[in-house]
Amino acid sequence: MPDVFAAPKGRQFRLLVKEHPGATMGVSFIALLLLASLVAPLPYDPTATDGSSSLLAPGAQHWFGTDGAGADVFSRVIAAARIDLSLALAGTLLSLGLGLPLGLMASGKGKGSEWLVRALDAFQAFPLLILALALVSLSGNKLYMVVVAIALINVPRYIRLMRSEILSLRESRFIEAAIAMGASTSRVTFKHLLPNVWGIVLVQTSLTIANAIVVIASLSFLGVGVSAPTPSWGGMIRDGAGNMASGEWWIAGFAGLAVLLCVLAFNQLADAIGDRTARTYR
Amino acid sequence: MTLAPVEGAKIRGPKRASGPWRLVLGRLGFLVAALFGVMTLSFLLVSVTPGDPARLIAGPLADETQVTAIEAELGLDRPLGERYLDYMGGLVQGDLGDSYYSKQPVIDEIASKLPATLTLVLLSVALAAVLGVVVGAVGAYFRTRWPDSVGRLFTGIFQAVPDFFLGLMLIYVFFFVLGIAPAPAGQLAFSETAPARVTGFIPIDSLVAGDTSLFVSSLKHLVLPVLTLGLVYAAYFAKTARTTVGRALNSQQVHFARAMGLPERTVLRYAFVESRTTIVTYAGVIFAALLGGEAIVERVFAWDGIGTWALTGILRLDLPVVQGMVLVAGALTLITYTLLDIVVGLLDPRIKHA
Repeated sequence: MPDVFAAPKGRQFRLLVKEHPGATMGVSFIALLLLASLVAPLPYDPTATDGSSSLLAPGAQHWFGTDGAGADVFSRVIAAARIDLSLALAGTLLSLGLGLPLGLMASGKGKGSEWLVRALDAFQAFPLLILALALVSLSGNKLYMVVVAIALINVPRYIRLMRSEILSLRESRFIEAAIAMGASTSRVTFKHLLPNVWGIVLVQTSLTIANAIVVIASLSFLGVGVSAPTPSWGGMIRDGAGNMASGEWWIAGFAGLAVLLCVLAFNQLADAIGDRTARTYR
Repeated sequence: MTLAPVEGAKIRGPKRASGPWRLVLGRLGFLVAALFGVMTLSFLLVSVTPGDPARLIAGPLADETQVTAIEAELGLDRPLGERYLDYMGGLVQGDLGDSYYSKQPVIDEIASKLPATLTLVLLSVALAAVLGVVVGAVGAYFRTRWPDSVGRLFTGIFQAVPDFFLGLMLIYVFFFVLGIAPAPAGQLAFSETAPARVTGFIPIDSLVAGDTSLFVSSLKHLVLPVLTLGLVYAAYFAKTARTTVGRALNSQQVHFARAMGLPERTVLRYAFVESRTTIVTYAGVIFAALLGGEAIVERVFAWDGIGTWALTGILRLDLPVVQGMVLVAGALTLITYTLLDIVVGLLDPRIKHA
């Protein structure tokens, strides 16, 4: 495989696309979806209901059909990207913001960090989705609690990942050499350790976004988090769940497809970043 | 010159229990400590999280005196420390409190709903393990060739699909379009009554009662939920199996076995023996993740297990139910991990435990 960044600038992009077709398609899909949900004019008002046109099958008038209240499913699926993706990004940023420093702190060799990891193990023994659900619903259904819940699920993953990676990096020669040359702890941490874990942190971040999208969809499927008039994918799957057994698949179907494609896109992106990271260090 | 033992010195034997016993005892000791932690956490998580259950139960129209009365009735007006001691004292005697709504002891409700969940989870893990390991191993064996590509495509898709959505799609295809699956109405059809309770596992109880048609019906109702969870988690299994078996196929002993001209079947068996601890570990982890993690799928199929029960409890702020679920799922997970450590330790003596 040719190294992409050794190629002249103009060809770099084309090579990247060729090397990671899945990730490229995924990123384009997300970009398009975001763009459409933020700026494009929707064919119908996503919150407008119309009793006379309820449960219409997909067709020329309503591309993705209409739901039980007569709202246009296509407009709702696109509009839902706004709240679903921004909550997912917010949750991921919080996870990253807490997980990165905590991960660095937990990567020391002291007894304290060992106990922290033990405590995390015990914490992860809990059913995390139930915990997230309890948190959001006990708080009276606040949206910021959805973000907190995502962080609660994902921060321990960052900590464990960074700890295992940094502990093995610490054994390597160049860290030893840096310490022998008198580099301070903070210099070793920020100049030598951190740049070497960026790759896996980025992979984890992409996976966290994917996980967050599923968590948000699960919560709103249960009627917690994003609530009624605001369109959300989980909420649409909830609306359409009863219709599945009577044949109107499109209400839940297209919303579920949107979740699936977004998760697939971020998983592919994670794979591609992981690939590149692995090759850089080989 | 030979080294003779020093006169009068005794060869020191191990002081503590050694071998498998040491492993088992050490793990059990840790389990007891961790269970105590889980008990405390399940109390704290629910008691310290903001929210006002009394007001929620009373409804929006209730006035202050009614809310205070409900608070007193549920014991929510007492100080935190007192409630904690009470809670722990109750737990030791097997008392998890009563549900705010049904007024039934939580422990009884859990006991009546756990078998349905365990049936679902155990069968799903079994399906996921078999399917996932086969797909993963085939992928590893034919790495980068077409069976691998096909396997990875499906793995990628099933990893990305939310399990509850997959469940709904399966209901649409197998119940509505093809009409071969029963309606998603729980463990049995609406018209059927559950057999007399012996073990709590409906398929077994219906056999005990000698009702074959009921047994068949209970199996039919299991197919879609098990398929839903099995397919989603098979994808995770396949990913792990592909990596693990791939590494084993590249290991020195496998190369050596090939070089010695052993038949391919034997070589493959060696590779499987090498990867079995990872796969057993993964099965345990997934089993633990599914307890509580399958709650939404239970709800989709109207499955009357602890998942549905816990979701209902959480959504109406039934604190003892939430505590009970967190406690039971946490404890079962810890017990699973403990058993896993012991099994893996016995399977692979190279692994040293503290």
